[in-house]
Amino acid sequence: MMGRTIFIDPGRCIGCQACVSACRECDSHRGKSMIHLDYPDEGRSVASLPTVCMHCEDPVAPCAEVCPADAILVTADGVVQQADTTRCIGCANCVNACPFGVPKIDLQAKLQMKCNLCYDRTAYGLAPMCATVCPTGALFYGTLDELRAERPGVQVADSFTFGTTTVSTGVAMVVPADKVQWPVPGGLPVVEINGVDVSEANANKGGGGRREGVR
Amino acid sequence: MTEPPQTAEPTPNPAPPRPSRPAPGGRRHRARTPAAVRRRAALAGAAVSALLILAIVLGSRLLRDFDSALLPYAVATVFLAFGVAHRYTVWISAPGARRLFRQGWRSFFSAANFRKAPTALPKMIATYLGFQKFLGARSHARWAAHQLIFWGCLLAAAITFPLTWGWFTFTSSTGSGPGYEMRIWGFKIIGFDALNAVGWLMFHGLDIAAVLVIAGASYFLWRRMKDRGAITGQRFAYDLVPLLALIVISVTGLLLTFSSIFLHGGGYEFLAVLHMVSVVFTLIYIPFGKFFHIVQRPAAVGMQLFKYTSRRKDEDEILTCRRCHEPIDTAPYVENLQGTMRDLDLGFDQWAEYCPRCKRVLRGTAYLDHVKKGFK
Amino acid sequence: MTATDPVTTPGRLLPLDPSLAPPGTRQFRDAGGIPADRWHADQNGETLVPTHCCFCGVQCGMYLRVDHHGKVFGVEPRNHDINRMRLCPKGINAYQQVNHPDRLTAPLMRRGRDEEFREVSWDEALDHTVAEIRRIQSAYGNDAFGLLGGASLFSEKTYLVGKFARVALRSRHVDYNGRLCMVSAAGANKLAFGIDRAGNPFSDILLTDCLLIAGSNVGECFPVMTQYLWGARDRGATLIVVDPRETAIARTADVHVALKPGTDSAFFNAVLHVVVAEGLTDEAYLAAHTTGWDEVRKTVAAYPPARSAEICGVPEEQIVQVARMFADADKAMAWHARGVEHHSQGVENCLTIINLCVATGNIGKPGAGYGTITGQGNGQGGREHGQKSDLLPGGRSITNPEHRRQICEIWGIDETELPPAGTSMMEMVWQMQRKEIRGLVGICNNPFVSLPNYATVKDGYDTLEFHAQFDFFLSETAANAHVVFPVTVWAEDEGVMANAEARVVKHNKAQEPPAGVRTDTWVLCELARRLGAGDKFAFPDSRSVFEELRIASAGTVNDYYGITYERLEETGGIAWPCPSTEHPGTPRLFEDGRTYHPDGKIHLQVVEWHPPMDPYSEEYPLSLTTGRTVAHFLSGNQTRRLGALVEQTPRPWVEVHPSHGFRNGDPVRVVTRRGSEVFPALVTEAIRPDTVFVPYHWPVPTAANALTIDALDPRSKIPEYKVCAARIEAADHVDEVPAPPTAPGHQAYPETQVSRTDPLPPTSPQGRGTAERS
Repeated sequence: MMGRTIFIDPGRCIGCQACVSACRECDSHRGKSMIHLDYPDEGRSVASLPTVCMHCEDPVAPCAEVCPADAILVTADGVVQQADTTRCIGCANCVNACPFGVPKIDLQAKLQMKCNLCYDRTAYGLAPMCATVCPTGALFYGTLDELRAERPGVQVADSFTFGTTTVSTGVAMVVPADKVQWPVPGGLPVVEINGVDVSEANANKGGGGRREGVR
Repeated sequence: MTEPPQTAEPTPNPAPPRPSRPAPGGRRHRARTPAAVRRRAALAGAAVSALLILAIVLGSRLLRDFDSALLPYAVATVFLAFGVAHRYTVWISAPGARRLFRQGWRSFFSAANFRKAPTALPKMIATYLGFQKFLGARSHARWAAHQLIFWGCLLAAAITFPLTWGWFTFTSSTGSGPGYEMRIWGFKIIGFDALNAVGWLMFHGLDIAAVLVIAGASYFLWRRMKDRGAITGQRFAYDLVPLLALIVISVTGLLLTFSSIFLHGGGYEFLAVLHMVSVVFTLIYIPFGKFFHIVQRPAAVGMQLFKYTSRRKDEDEILTCRRCHEPIDTAPYVENLQGTMRDLDLGFDQWAEYCPRCKRVLRGTAYLDHVKKGFK
Repeated sequence: MTATDPVTTPGRLLPLDPSLAPPGTRQFRDAGGIPADRWHADQNGETLVPTHCCFCGVQCGMYLRVDHHGKVFGVEPRNHDINRMRLCPKGINAYQQVNHPDRLTAPLMRRGRDEEFREVSWDEALDHTVAEIRRIQSAYGNDAFGLLGGASLFSEKTYLVGKFARVALRSRHVDYNGRLCMVSAAGANKLAFGIDRAGNPFSDILLTDCLLIAGSNVGECFPVMTQYLWGARDRGATLIVVDPRETAIARTADVHVALKPGTDSAFFNAVLHVVVAEGLTDEAYLAAHTTGWDEVRKTVAAYPPARSAEICGVPEEQIVQVARMFADADKAMAWHARGVEHHSQGVENCLTIINLCVATGNIGKPGAGYGTITGQGNGQGGREHGQKSDLLPGGRSITNPEHRRQICEIWGIDETELPPAGTSMMEMVWQMQRKEIRGLVGICNNPFVSLPNYATVKDGYDTLEFHAQFDFFLSETAANAHVVFPVTVWAEDEGVMANAEARVVKHNKAQEPPAGVRTDTWVLCELARRLGAGDKFAFPDSRSVFEELRIASAGTVNDYYGITYERLEETGGIAWPCPSTEHPGTPRLFEDGRTYHPDGKIHLQVVEWHPPMDPYSEEYPLSLTTGRTVAHFLSGNQTRRLGALVEQTPRPWVEVHPSHGFRNGDPVRVVTRRGSEVFPALVTEAIRPDTVFVPYHWPVPTAANALTIDALDPRSKIPEYKVCAARIEAADHVDEVPAPPTAPGHQAYPETQVSRTDPLPPTSPQGRGTAERS
């Protein structure tokens, strides 16, 4: 299935944000960090989740599909590039369509930016910056065999469910052996149960609300 | 305990920058263009080309003003018109572009919008298409270089297209100056003396354009040779050919002037052919390569106008995240996007009502709850 | 454009450009302050200089990227076997200090603290300093002038600090900021093993079966070391973490002992009690290699789990569980850091852990042993060569006549000229208050942020008649001085540091210092020359100092004689003792079962727990504990100026348990007997309800150390940073973080300071999530 790619294991992540700083150092990112680091268990634990572009394979790159300017290219080996600077019109379609919440947008420059798997490094045979520096191996770049050589018996999954849809991706996540046959839940919460709107309950369940109101 | 010899380390800076993975121009997921769209595009191309031919014939007063020496240029513009119309039609047939295209024009034609903010559109066009403020936010140097190319090309196009179409004529009552008059479609616009400043500018407009373009394109070319970020992803046909074409056109154009002034026409014939070939090639290339962004760019103004006008209506038009209640974008925009996602059968269009952060946090929570909480 | 939403202010003109995008998708200010169009991606002529990070005791290898103008402009991971290309956010951003706009580039001087600094020539600054030293010493005696060094200096420079104090100043008062960091472990190591360093290299962690981490937030303070922890667990090792907070490594640990701050020795005594009770001790090892076991066994008998569970506030079963897990493991290992060391019984806390390792026979074997994680880059090397008040080069004691004689011979001075032992850093501040010390030179330290009980520290420094400070950024302490010498950053000079494994690594020079900046070596030698000791300080560069250091350490426990710059460059690092140039170094100690005591035995020490020095009361019922966050380093003088790190963690906070009823972001006043400050609350279940935490990298009015107690360990003289009595109460608004000080006429680089005034706490102790940056 997957070739040389990134494997994500949030269980190893210490939330140090080395990846966030390192992402910036990649020459093709020009001082801008594309990776996301969230603390999804805010208020309860220091658990953290790094998010790089998952390089969706099926459906291929929803971000590219919704792009009105054909600005997002997918390379032959499945890397979804960031928007072509001459084409991107800064509409943010990709930002809001991406099921993983990956693309960012520079409103002033009217330009979408996202993880491109550090193509300027991978082209030279180097690993992407985030996976190179990650102190814990929460982000690992290589083949599945190389991963297993370091962590015997590790299992990974490369499909995610969003409601009734399954998205399979180029980037994979580490899962326990007993969960490997199931797609990883993508987090799309149940909005309606038997016609009753439960979105409010979901909204209150989350640990969000750090920023009160509109800033 | 000890560090392996330096040679064991991966050499972080190999000598020749050779992208092993040039991104192909196409998108491999894009299904073949449906036949209906292809037919529509061919039709649009044919219609636009026919219109252009008609305009040339009429504008040159039934070819009376048409300069047959410029025929290859004129033919190239007809091909250009076909190509642009064809690709444009294909482009706006895709769901994302089609919906935004409609919304842009709907905002444009809304009388209510116009009454509320009559200056919005001209201002957008000026800052966005003219002065390209957004490029300044990316890099000041690239903005400056792009402005040089942009104004240079605009100037050159404004002079040459009407000339090749036979819409402009320069005539002298004495036959060889210095008093000239410029006519459009046969109507006199201005008279001028070829020896004064206005006259000099009129005759050397293309040389000025060439200088602007050479300066801008050279900067980009230089940057493409030294900037690692630019180098690794660049493709010869897509990124370098346009710059080279602009430089060849401008240099040969300047050499034509040089030849006629200093060499008494030496080498003029050859240069003229070279110039013509490069121009014709560039014109025909426009619909296929990087230059198509010239045609696509105005879509950004449509997008901007759509977002702006839908935002003006009133405050309820902002859609906030279902979970954190932070604003995402205007409601009509998100609705439009969801329509696009449904068109594409993406199956998670309701997910667009969550902000990207909440998408990630919810996925992280789901992973912690249902997949793996800790290390093992 | 900021993403300020005009919708909230109707009537305001709506911008024509799209100005709306979801949170976290539109902010690019974490670019480290470098505007995108000035981003340096030009690879032509780039060279990579191999060196190490300037920050913590892990000493990760890195390359500095140097452009064809000879300027450092970036960083590239280096496959050094300490870190194997991994770096933490501090290390990645370290290079931005080198050509930072806040750098000091000319000496600053003023006659009195009521004057403004003015830029002066080097001659004027040096002459004035020497004149003040002479004036104070002739009026009040040599000991009235003190010197304070630092453990982020290269070992060569720490050697010079000690030599300068004894030979040029001829003052007994010299100490260094490692006193706030490492000395408890050093004291315990000396007592038990007769050698002051970790027993095993990091790579041994990968071989262990049970890893105990006590009082160390490895994930945040030594992030790159985490790979060793995870590597051990991948092999099946169990992980025990002892920490009042559920830190990143504690979150997933097999056992997390969330004990009450200041109860470590009670806990470890009880663990040893269970080990003894269940017959899990290695009696053969104890009999062959130790002294004092009987006394220790008798002492721990008085710490049954029930008693310690009560003291520590942990379940009784957990103590038993830890004891079995550790003692049953084939190979077990313990590493500890400031969490157990920053106590009025810091030395004793370390000793209880040593007792546990020794009693179970886990010493000096691959995958079995004991280590301490040094906090500062040269925390290990900085204490070895004589800048500590009681030590001479080579770890020699200044009170030992034989050691004194040896050093006087090497230095070429008369034995009567060598001053006696001085006092510790905090004690020196008290002496400043009492005017026993009237003049001070500080090198590479920032006590206004790093020493406890700020009010006392400020008073002590304000009482000084003359104060000079060496630094490359104007620290809070330097801003209060009379003379400030602008010196080099680590990348502008070469030198060695010893990391937490006692591995000596070489830092290389990557660029020339800016005009007006000198090396610390040059300034010290120049001062010595003007003080009339020039012949003892004829050091043109670091290499010449290192050559003298090698000789001065030859034959001692801390033997550097076999280490040369060339060998370090070839090997990537050598662990001392290394007595000859053919010796491979000593990564693992005690493999032959012998310690560095004359009898070759481990001297086990009896430890009785006592409560922390700041008593709890009705008024002050909670424990305040302090520590680091991952984005910042020590007093923050370096990291509070680096854009990406400020973006990650712009300000301190107070971590409180939800049971106190505060909501996230509420202003909470933390009150101790020494002061009170208001921080935004970070409400989390990951901390004990009876404990609050404040990170210490910021200056007043947001300084944790305005609250901490200046009680010292009687042996190591380390302050009790990790526990004092406190209460919390609601407040109106949080105290704002001040901008880092800068030279007159300059402003702290604004690009990096944008989010400093964010009044909210970070999302998590590690910082703000990338989407929570406004």
